[in-house]
Formats: sequence, structure tokens, C-alpha cells
Amino acid sequence: MEQKPIKKVLVANRGEIAIRIMRSCREMGIETVAVFSDADRTAMHVRYANEAYNIGKAPSSESYLNMDKIIATAKSSGADAIHPGYGFLSENSRFARRCREEGLRFIGPSPESIEMMGDKISARKKMIAAGVPVVPGTTEKVTSEAEAAKYIREIGLPVMIKASAGGGGKGMRLVKKESQIASSLRAARSEAKTAFGDDALYIEKYVDSPHHIEFQILSDKYGNTVHLFERECSVQRRHQKVVEETPSPIMTPEIREQMGAYAVAAANACQYEGAGTIEFIVDDKLNYYFLEMNTRLQVEHPITERVVGVDLVKEQIRIAEGFELPFRQEDLKQSGHAIECRIYAEDTDNNFMPNPGTITHITEPFGFGVRCDGYVYEGYTIPIFYDSLISKLIVWGRTREEAIERMRRALYEYKITGIKTTIRFLERIMNTPDFRKGEYNTHFIEKNSAFLLADGMCDRNCEDMAMIATFAQYVSRLEDSKKTNAAPSEKKETNWKRQLRKFTSRI
Amino acid sequence: MELELKVNKRNAIVKEIKREGNILTLAVDDVEYTVDIVKVSNQEFSVLYEGRSFNIEVIENKEPKHFNVNTLYFKFDVEVVDNESRYRQSRMQSKLILNDNTIRSPMPGKVVKVFVKPGDIVEAGQPLIVLSAMKMESEFKAGQRGIVKEVPVKEGETVDNDQLLVVIDDIQEK
Repeated sequence: MEQKPIKKVLVANRGEIAIRIMRSCREMGIETVAVFSDADRTAMHVRYANEAYNIGKAPSSESYLNMDKIIATAKSSGADAIHPGYGFLSENSRFARRCREEGLRFIGPSPESIEMMGDKISARKKMIAAGVPVVPGTTEKVTSEAEAAKYIREIGLPVMIKASAGGGGKGMRLVKKESQIASSLRAARSEAKTAFGDDALYIEKYVDSPHHIEFQILSDKYGNTVHLFERECSVQRRHQKVVEETPSPIMTPEIREQMGAYAVAAANACQYEGAGTIEFIVDDKLNYYFLEMNTRLQVEHPITERVVGVDLVKEQIRIAEGFELPFRQEDLKQSGHAIECRIYAEDTDNNFMPNPGTITHITEPFGFGVRCDGYVYEGYTIPIFYDSLISKLIVWGRTREEAIERMRRALYEYKITGIKTTIRFLERIMNTPDFRKGEYNTHFIEKNSAFLLADGMCDRNCEDMAMIATFAQYVSRLEDSKKTNAAPSEKKETNWKRQLRKFTSRI
Repeated sequence: MELELKVNKRNAIVKEIKREGNILTLAVDDVEYTVDIVKVSNQEFSVLYEGRSFNIEVIENKEPKHFNVNTLYFKFDVEVVDNESRYRQSRMQSKLILNDNTIRSPMPGKVVKVFVKPGDIVEAGQPLIVLSAMKMESEFKAGQRGIVKEVPVKEGETVDNDQLLVVIDDIQEK
């Protein structure tokens, strides 16, 4: 197989991930093409790219999900590859297939791999055949209530009823009692039909005190696959990840090696190419089971990058160009500890209601071991049409304790004004004893909700200081408005003008 | 210079006593402070008080005389209270009784569905309107029994934060 360098990439995405992808492209000398909807004309990814084209109205279905428009834009701009980011079209096999048909390189796996792993029932079957441990459950779709009841008795309560075409927590129901089976089936089926257009269901054993641990893999076109170790993603709210870290505080070297080998086997079982993630569910006794495979780059990929020292986007591009992986499994090591906090524009006092609006001021955290991947800036108005993730704060420390203290420090420094964000909430997570001890699972947020949503107490001094500063600002604004209203005074000579005159008089 | 300020639930009078260069002496109610205060950027101040350093952001809100104030560990909403805002405040107090019967949008979004029209009688808990924003749909229900007086928005319309959506009147029981 020959190597064909990529010269221009169209990034079929928006927000922080579009910029992150473009940064790696710039480092590789690859030109970038941004696409934007009517609502995103002033978005940072448009300002960052080499070229930018409008692809339609604000709703995603008319822009970022519009395959025809995106492919047409790629061709007319002369892009030779498309990077889909995460979400949107990244796991859409029809899109991957159309790219292939149109001679555009899709920076990701083949449409066949996407389909194989996208159908959760077929993925389970494939994993079982490859010897990868899976959560005990059905291998065929469940059609009737009687069938479901039979499987459930075999598997043993409690169980999770899940949508085969699903993901992201939709079309799922937890069944703890026999009496709930019928209603849960009905509810899951209807939600699955609405969300994914497919009401096929399967049933899995519900693992108690579950940890969500996932492994990053990279596969090239030559059959080489490596894993880049694990990410612990159990801090979740309503099945949405909030904080991720690596290494996992509960992992042992032996289990890591076993799970890593299974992750590699899973990727090989579907002839994978590119970057992917194998998700496992792990119980307190470190029994692990394959949950699903995500055939795309994930939101939390930066923590792996920090600890392993590999730029995953660059590796995705090099794989797509036909290069062999530049490292073997034995070359990869985890160094230190990384944590990511996802910052959402949500009102934590109001049931995490999304909070779009205009950013009136922003102060970002800096310093050793701090990475901030965002896309908002002062004066920017967050549109209502897309999700509410505004940035990712990633820190690295030599130890887990240092990483936690660094994250606390960085969160205090990070101030976004004009909209409500989850920054305060994340600070409290860093202060929660369960998190600090590394003893938590996916019930963490629920279990600690009282602590997490409590108000911080401020002393009277601090309140007074706030008032003093406000007083000073108000006075300053009054003085400013007096100056502009006053009669224009004699033009004061500035240093700059004096230097300019001196300089020009010498010519 | 003297100002009345409101922080969260507390009102205080802030009065300048003396200023010499950066050194400002003032009173916050009955407590006197002497601070070294410098404006370091358009919206930031450095305040030194008894050796302690406070870096404070004072950012103007959309509403006039309302500021978002950030210290390292805390956020405050500070309002400059003058005659105009005192007047607005008292008007709002008298309107409070009606407030229970109005639904205002808690965030910018799009009206997805409207279930009622003026003249409809609604019961407590009855769905009135569905708003969509940031991939989430929220359904708003009637707080109590009443008769729909106004629905100034329609399906498909984009709305701002705090925009009036539905007004309900009490039903006069015979």
C-alpha cells in the first residue's frame, strides 16, 4: 500500500473539536476548510481555518448533518479528506460510504466497520466470537414480552433493556422487578423508535456499582493495532460524562494488560482502521465486560494524549494517508496523571438547564500542565441550536493528587461571565472526598448531590471587597462618560506621534 | 461620593472618605476600609487590603447598573441601587401576585408546541407550551387552575430570555 499525503482537510464539525483538529492540521502543513451554518458565522472555527464556507441554515439537519452540502463543499474547495470530529456524521456509515464513492478520504474507519460496531447486537456477537468478555445478555433482538421475560429469568434481575441502534443513554430502561418488564419494554421501544428510527431492543445484565472504563486504540491499514491505555469515565450525570481521568484509580497492571489485549482483539475483529474506543463496564471486583465500541475520536481523548504523549488527530491523519503506526505496544507508556473537566453552559441551580447567551468576559487558566480546549471568546453569543459543551479543561500532574490540586487551581482561575456554567460544580467535584480518594463509580454524582449543589460560604470581607470594586468601577464609568461629553481638549502629543515625526523628518 | 449597593440579599451604603493616589479610604456601612485599588484592565481591579490581594472582575451585565463580580473563589451579582431601581423594585413587588400566572422563558429558545389559546380553561399541571433549546425540550405546565388570557407567541417562533409566553387569569368562582 502506498502513502498518499493529504493536503487539505474539510472539518465537518464545529465548536472546540473543529479547532482542535485544525490545530494539528496546521502543525502538519495541511490546509483546513471550515463549514458553518448561518448561526456560526462568527464562531471561532470559522475564524481559525484557511477557508470557510456556509453550508446552510442553523438547525443541524440543514447544515452540519447535510451530507450533500458537505461533500459538494469538499469537492469545490479541493479538499482531499474530511475529518468528521465527534457526533454529527462521525459514525454515519452512509456518509463514510459516500465519501469513498466520491473519492474523498474519510478520516476514520470503513463504512463496514462503522456498521458492524454501530449495531449493538451484531457488535456483541462479533465480540463473543472474538473471545472478548461481554455483559451477559441476549444476542438476538427481543421481539415479544414473553421472549423478554424468558431471557430476563435466564440472565437474572436487575437488567438493562437497550436500543440496538442506540447510544448516548437513549432508549434504555433499568428493570429491577418482574412487574416492570412490560412497561419498560414499551417505553424503551417507543423512545428507540423516536430517537433512532429503529425499535429493535436487546437485554443485558445490569452491573451493580459500575465503573465505565474505556480503552483508546489506534489501527493502521496494515493490520497493526495498539491500545493507548484506559480512561476512567464514571463521573457522569444522566449518562453524560462530566469528568474523566487516566490512569483509572482502580486499575491494576494485570487487569490493564488483559483489558488492553481484549481492546486490541475487538478492533482487529472488525478490521478497524483509525482511532477508536472500546468501552467496558467494570464492577467493584474488577470483573470487566465489553459494552460497546465507539468508531470515532472521543470528546475525552486529550487525557490520553497528555499521559501517553501522542497527538491522536495527527495519528488519525497519518493512518488515512497510508502510513504504518510509528510505534509498537511496547513503546507506549503512561506517564503521570491527567484529568479532564467538561465545561457546559448549564445552570446548575436550575436542574442543569442549558444556558446559551453572550459571553461578557472570559479569563482562562494557564500554567504548567494546563490545557484548555474551547471556542468561546468575549463578545461571542452561544447559539441555541447545538449542544452546550463550551470547553474542556485538561490538567496533568506527576501524581493523581497533584493533578487534582492543579485542576482545582485551574477551575478557580477559569472565569466565564455572561452565562451560567458548570465550573463551580466541577470545583466541588474536586473537593468531594469520594473523588479525591478515587473511590467512585457511575452513581457518584447522585450519591453526592447534596454536597455538590451546596452554596459556597463567603466571608463578609470578601463581599465588601466585591462592593468596593463595584464602587470603583461605577465611579470610573461615570468619569469616562464625563470625559467623552466634555469639549474636546487640545490634542495631546503622544510619544508615538513624536517618534513618528522625528523619524519622518529624517527621510 | 456615596452609593447604595445590593449584593445578593444585602443592601449597603458605600461612601468614599478619602482618596490619595491609589489609596482609597471608604466605609461599607459602618466598617471602614483603607485599600490600595488600581484599575488594571477595562473590567478588572487589583485591590490590596492589609496585605491581602484581591483580583476582582467587575463586568457590566445587560441590565444597567447590574454587575457580575468575580473574585478568585466567588461570584456575586451586585446592583447599584438608586431612585430609578428603587421605583422598579417596588413596582415588581406589587406585580408579584400576578407573576405566578405568567410563564416567561427561562432561556433563549424556540417555541416547539403551543397547547392552549386565549379563552381555554386550564387545570393545575396541564401542559401549556414546549420550548426547545440546545437539544433539550422543556414543557411548561400551569401552576394552578385558571383561564388563558394571552399567548403572545406562536409555534416556530424564536424567543429571548425572560420573554412572556403565556398569561393566565384567575377564574372568578361564582
